[in-house]
Amino acid sequence: MKRRDFAPLLGSGLAASMLAPGSRVAAQAQGRTLVIAQQNDALTMDPARHSAFPTANVMFAIYDGLVTMDEKGEFKPALALSWSNPDPTTWRFVLRQGVKFHNGQDFDANAVKFTFDRALNPEFRAPYRSRIAAIRSVQVVDRHTVDFKTAAPFPTMLFSLYEASFAAMIVPPGEAAEKLAATPVGTGPFRFVEWRRDDRVVLEANPDYWGGRPAMDRVIFRPIREPRTRIAELRSGGAHIVADITPEDMPGLQGGSTKVANIASEFLYFFHFDTTRDTPLKDRRVRQAINHAIDVDAIQRALLGGLGQRIATVLPTDAFAYDPAWKPYPYDPARARALLAEAGYADGFTIPLTSRRGRYLKDFEIMEASIGYLRRVGIRVNANYLEPGVWAQVSERKGREGLIFGGWSGRDPDLVWYPLLVTGQYQSYYSNPQLDALLQQGRSTIDPAERRRIYAQAREIIHEDAPFLPMLQPPLLYGLAANLDWAPRTDGMINLRQARFT
Amino acid sequence: MLAFLVTRLLHAVGVVFGVAVAVFFLIRLGGDPTALFLPPEATLEEIQRVRHLMGFDRPLPLQFLDFLGNALRGDFGLSLRYEQPAMGLVLERLPATLELSAAALALSLAIAVPLGILTAVQRGRVADRAGLLFSLVGQSFPVFWLAIMLILLLSETWQLLPPSGRGGWQNLVMPAMALAAYSTAIITRLLRSSMIEVLQSDYIRTARSKGLASGTVIFVHALRNAAIPTITVVGLQVGALLGGAVITEEIFAWPGIGRLAIQSITNRDFTVVQAFVVFMAVLIVSINLLVDILYALLDPRIRRR
Repeated sequence: MKRRDFAPLLGSGLAASMLAPGSRVAAQAQGRTLVIAQQNDALTMDPARHSAFPTANVMFAIYDGLVTMDEKGEFKPALALSWSNPDPTTWRFVLRQGVKFHNGQDFDANAVKFTFDRALNPEFRAPYRSRIAAIRSVQVVDRHTVDFKTAAPFPTMLFSLYEASFAAMIVPPGEAAEKLAATPVGTGPFRFVEWRRDDRVVLEANPDYWGGRPAMDRVIFRPIREPRTRIAELRSGGAHIVADITPEDMPGLQGGSTKVANIASEFLYFFHFDTTRDTPLKDRRVRQAINHAIDVDAIQRALLGGLGQRIATVLPTDAFAYDPAWKPYPYDPARARALLAEAGYADGFTIPLTSRRGRYLKDFEIMEASIGYLRRVGIRVNANYLEPGVWAQVSERKGREGLIFGGWSGRDPDLVWYPLLVTGQYQSYYSNPQLDALLQQGRSTIDPAERRRIYAQAREIIHEDAPFLPMLQPPLLYGLAANLDWAPRTDGMINLRQARFT
Repeated sequence: MLAFLVTRLLHAVGVVFGVAVAVFFLIRLGGDPTALFLPPEATLEEIQRVRHLMGFDRPLPLQFLDFLGNALRGDFGLSLRYEQPAMGLVLERLPATLELSAAALALSLAIAVPLGILTAVQRGRVADRAGLLFSLVGQSFPVFWLAIMLILLLSETWQLLPPSGRGGWQNLVMPAMALAAYSTAIITRLLRSSMIEVLQSDYIRTARSKGLASGTVIFVHALRNAAIPTITVVGLQVGALLGGAVITEEIFAWPGIGRLAIQSITNRDFTVVQAFVVFMAVLIVSINLLVDILYALLDPRIRRR
């Protein structure tokens, strides 16, 4: 912004060598304004009416949930101070007192009830309703206590209530709720100032924030889809957090006025095998062979510069019940060939691959590299890269075939294994009654220790029967201004509560 | 003149109708967008429920009739993503796109007209060669490449101009330059060749032999006739500028209709795509109509045809 004011001056003949210090001065004069450049603009200012992460990042600056996730991935109190399970189908939350919405309304149990009643109403069409759909009802116990009732025990409730469950952000009841799409009113660290569509969303610090006044005076979200342009904004001081950079951009941004933040995302790269059709993938030995045939570590080194996190099973390494002692199948092409011969495929076979491409960081390159490895053990792959709309159509008629690279995320086995492995689930291409029983048990047990035990057993079966080839958690990469103190999160949500310039 | 106008108008209406039909069915070839609006873990029942609420489970011909009926009344429906009137979203972004296209066109003409005349008059000499080289280069660079080079040079290296966004004139310079390059080249070359042709014609020789000043001959007598094919191309270029603005806007994060179009296509926001395409069709058809009328005014022979 300030640089714009300087530009005529600069254009009038200052030497290029003097410009760099000029713009640095300009950046300092901006005070504590933080500019975030991400791919897309917000779609709405109503947290319950969208399904897009860039929008969610803006919402997370304006609104709070009952609980939040810290940088280590643990649930922490937000608008709820504490929670308990009076019985297996009730989650009771004790609310923070003295919190006000930006318009002065009090935050209380009614606001919580209103938020969920609104988003759960099917007519309201909250896109992320399915993430909170297990909630049967929300009951006000007293002004600062609410009970969430579920039909069956619901151990993953907190995942339904934190900021990545978009419809769970708390909104004010009454008149204000009618106008949220254009004028957001939350309890969060920043208040709404202005939204110029496709250009910028401007927010200012909420001095009365219950978590303490944020260090930034102003926050501006700018949508810039072209990666080169985002980086140019960062380099020229026009942005301080730039989302979605690639490993190739890193060397150029490390040092000087910029730096790079890197974290393994909770997103999961893996191959999912279609075991429902009559193909060689029905044979467990073939699935194990594929697990031995692809050198995931080499792929990670070569294509992701070693960034991200290798996984031993299809679950993020910091997910609930993940055991660091678990090991993936080692890369062993000889063993792969032996297993294939044993299964009667000494001469190999041809199999389709169903996926989208260009959707996630290096997805296409990783799939192509995997295809190369499979060719070496005699498996020929016909890759079928679909357009997102077609992929959705194909998925709906259960038409994903062969090797499936679809991506998934979730920090609890129930959020990952249940939908992908339980017989008859929409996205499951696998059936194993023994595993079904365990996963059913895991989702209806509240006691964490008991759940750990159940999922350890389930993992044994998954590893042995190999319905997946687990690969890795890709990295999330951000370009940052060198003087910015801010940490990324595994779920990709941008939290500005603690962001500060040093 | 009236018959001429009526025929042209009927053509125009037919074209817009055809475009509307085409975009409606083409965008639906890739399936409906329901699943893309829901989180990945949404169940099949959830997808079907939402599809029903959105009306995408109705027979396609019925959906089309609805679309047509409403469109005729100027109602293009609500954006599936923004949940606001689709045409409103397009119109809201129009000023930004017009600003950019107008700047680019002005820049193009400011360079191309003098350059076209100069190269024609100086035919075969150094100025001509240089002008041709310049226009060849302008025509050969893809917009996205030129745009990124401008950003690298003017924003990153020299820090003269902001790389993106809309605000002051500084924000307009690079997008207008990137967008103008191609049109400038086309218009220059065209004006040059028509000028050369006209300058060799008999009436110019007559004018010169009358002893008219060289400036009068070139600017009054030659330019007027050479302008006809050039105006056609300028008209076409307005369409091309609006089209080219899609890429330019994307790279410079310019909040115009092109950016909205790209986002709506990737988001499968059908209603906005339909509104955008129909709007663009109307706009381009109107410009062509205007060019036709302008011809008729410039050249009486066309009127009588």
